[in-house]
Amino acid sequence: MIIDLTPSDDQRMIEDGVRGFLQDRLPVERLRDVQNHGGAAERSLWGELSGLGLFGLGSAEQDGGLGLGLAEEALVARALGHALASPIMLAQLAAPHFATGAGLRAALISGAAKAAFANDLGDGVAHLIDGDGADQILLLSPQGAMLLPRSAVGEAQSVAGIDETVAFARVSLPSDLPARFPATDRTSLLISAYLTGIAQATTSTAVDYAKTREQFGQPIGAFQAIKHLCADMASRAAAAEAQCFYTAVAFGNGLDDASEVAAARMLAARAAIENAKANIHIHGAMGFTADCDAHLFLKRAHLMALLGSNRATERQRVLGH
Amino acid sequence: MHLIASPELDQFREQCRDWLADNVPRGTRPLEGAALRDFDLGWQRRQYDAGWAGISWPKDYGGRGASVLEQLIWHEEYARAGAPPSASMFVALSHAGPTLIVSGSEAQKQRHLPTILRGEENWCQGFSEPGSGSDLASLKCRAHIEGDALVVNGTKIWTTYGEHAVWQELLVRTDPDLPRHKGISWVICDMRSPGIEVRPIKAMSGLTHFAQVFYDDVRIPLTNVVGEINGGWKVAMTTLGFERGTATIAHQIELTNVVERLISTARAMAGGADEAVMADLATLKSEVMALRSLTVASVSRGMREAVPGPEGNIVALYFAELTRRVNGFSFDLLGHKALERGGAHDWPLNYLESFKWAIGGGTTDIRRNAIAERLLGLPKGPSARDLVR
Repeated sequence: MIIDLTPSDDQRMIEDGVRGFLQDRLPVERLRDVQNHGGAAERSLWGELSGLGLFGLGSAEQDGGLGLGLAEEALVARALGHALASPIMLAQLAAPHFATGAGLRAALISGAAKAAFANDLGDGVAHLIDGDGADQILLLSPQGAMLLPRSAVGEAQSVAGIDETVAFARVSLPSDLPARFPATDRTSLLISAYLTGIAQATTSTAVDYAKTREQFGQPIGAFQAIKHLCADMASRAAAAEAQCFYTAVAFGNGLDDASEVAAARMLAARAAIENAKANIHIHGAMGFTADCDAHLFLKRAHLMALLGSNRATERQRVLGH
Repeated sequence: MHLIASPELDQFREQCRDWLADNVPRGTRPLEGAALRDFDLGWQRRQYDAGWAGISWPKDYGGRGASVLEQLIWHEEYARAGAPPSASMFVALSHAGPTLIVSGSEAQKQRHLPTILRGEENWCQGFSEPGSGSDLASLKCRAHIEGDALVVNGTKIWTTYGEHAVWQELLVRTDPDLPRHKGISWVICDMRSPGIEVRPIKAMSGLTHFAQVFYDDVRIPLTNVVGEINGGWKVAMTTLGFERGTATIAHQIELTNVVERLISTARAMAGGADEAVMADLATLKSEVMALRSLTVASVSRGMREAVPGPEGNIVALYFAELTRRVNGFSFDLLGHKALERGGAHDWPLNYLESFKWAIGGGTTDIRRNAIAERLLGLPKGPSARDLVR
C-alpha cells in the first residue's frame, strides 16, 4: 500500500475553512466567559456550523453528505481540537455513521437532529457531555458504541467535572440495551485527531510564548532546556499526526484497522496530555493560573483521552490477537 | 492525503520482489573486517549487473533514476527480503557519490561514479576530529598547497570502515585565517597514500568498525578538490543525497520486525508475560507504527520538495530513541537469558550497537536544537550559526 500523506488542495481548503471559522467565531478565549461553556457557544452558532456542511463530510451524497472520506473528517476533528470546540461537534461528526434510518441520518447531517456523547461508566450509568439541547446520544464505551434517542436515558444530574468548560451530567442507561455496535474505530480515530489538534495547539502556544517571554535578558526560547522541551512537543505531535492520518487514509483497505486506530489513540492521548503539561510549565507561574488558557487544554486532553476508552483497552487493541 | 493506486507501481514492486527473492545473498554476513567489506562489495556488484545499483542516482550517472515512490517500494521490498544493509557501501552510495554528482568535476565523476556503482571501490568519511564532533566547523586537520598538491597533516576520527575503504571524503582546513567555515575544503583522499596511518577503534559492542586516521604530509593532487578551494563547507552542506527519506524505510521495517519478535516471544512464554511487560510492548508497538507513519509523511514531502526540510530531524530523533528502547527491552522480557551473547538474535550486540543512532550523524541534542530553531523558529544558538542557507 502506498500512501501520500500530504493534504491535497481540496483537503487544505476544507481544513483552512473550518479553522478560519473557528478562530473567528469560536476562539479559545470564548471559554473565559462562563456563558459559552457547555457547548452553549456552539449551539448559538448551530445554523452557521451546520451550513458549513461539516456534519455530512464523510456521508454519502444521497443522504445529504459530501461523500468524502475519513481523512477529511479527521482534518476537521483536528481543527476542532485546536479550538477546544465542544465535544458535541465531534459527536455530530460521528453520529451519522451510527444512524440506522435514512431519515435520522439526514437530520443529523443537516444539524436538525443534535447529538452529544455519553461516556459509559458501567453499572448502568453514563456521563452525558454537553448534553443540553441534544436529542440523540452517542454512547461510547470500550466495548462499543450506539446511538440512542435522548428519551432512552434518564434525567440528567449535573456533576462538576475536571473540565469546567464542559457540562458533565450523570444519566442512567436503560437496562435492556441492545448489543453494542462493535466498531468504535472510526469515532476513536476522530477523537485521536481532536487530541492531535490539542497537541499541536499547545506546541504553537508554548513556542510563541517562549519567543516573547524574556528572562536574563533574552527570550526563554533561546535556552536549550526550553528548546528541547519544545522540540519534544513537536515530535510527539508529529508522531500522533502522522499515525492519525496514515490510519485515516488506510482505513478499510486491509490493514488491522483496530490496531492502527488504537496506536493513533495512544499516541495522540499521550501527545495531547504531555504537551498540555509542557505548555503549562513553559508559561511558568502564569501557566498555573486560571487566567491563562493553558490549563483548559490539559483538562480537555484528559477528558477526551478517556472518552469511550482507557489505556488497558487501547493496549490490548494495539497488540491485536 | 490519499491511497496511491498504480498498476505500474504494482508491477515495479513485483519486479523488485522477484529479483530480490532470487538474488539476496543467503550466507551469513560477516560482522566486521575485510570479509564484511568483500561481502558488501559482492552484493553491490550483483545489484549493478542486474541494473539495480544506485537506485536513487540519476540515470545520467549510471543510476537507476527511480522516482521517490519507486525508491520507497524498492526499500520496502529490500527490507522484507532480508537484504543486507548497504554498510561498507553506505558512504559511497549515499554521501560521496551524491556529492560528486552535485559538486564534482566531470573528470571526478568519470573516475569515481562507475567504480562505486560496480562495487569495485568503497569510501569512508573523514569529517569528525577528536576536538570537532558536533561542532564540525571547528575542524583543524590542516592542508596547505605545495605545487600541484595539497599536503595534509592532522587526524580524523570515527571513520567507519576506515581500515577497509579505498577512498575518503575528507574535510581539511586550507586557510586558517578565514572565518572558520570559509577556510575548509572537501577533497577526495586515496586511503593508500603514503603518510596515512589507520588505527582501528573497538566499539563498546566489541565490534571494530571504525577507526582514527592520522595524516603525516599526505599529498593529495589538487585535481581531487571537489568544488572550490576553501568552498568545502558549502559542498558538505549541499550533500543531501537523493533519497528523500526513503532509505530509512529499511531501518524502520527492521525495528518493526524486532518488536513483532518480542511480542511473539512474550506470548509464547509459559503462563504468559506479565501485564506490565505487555503494556510496555503495546507502547513500543504503537511507536514503531508511528515511526512508519512519520517515514511515510517524510517520503510524501520528498515527492514535492527539492531540498529536505528540518522535519527529517524528527524522524531521525524518533528512530534513535526508539531503537535503543526496543533493543533494551529484551532484558525486561527475557531476564537473564538476554545477557547471553551470540545465538540467533544477539540481544546484547543489538542493544549496545543501537546507541550509535543517538550520537552519530548528529546527536539527538543537536537534532532537538535543529527542530527547535529551524522548524519552530526559536532563537538560533551556536550550533545553527554556521549553517549555510
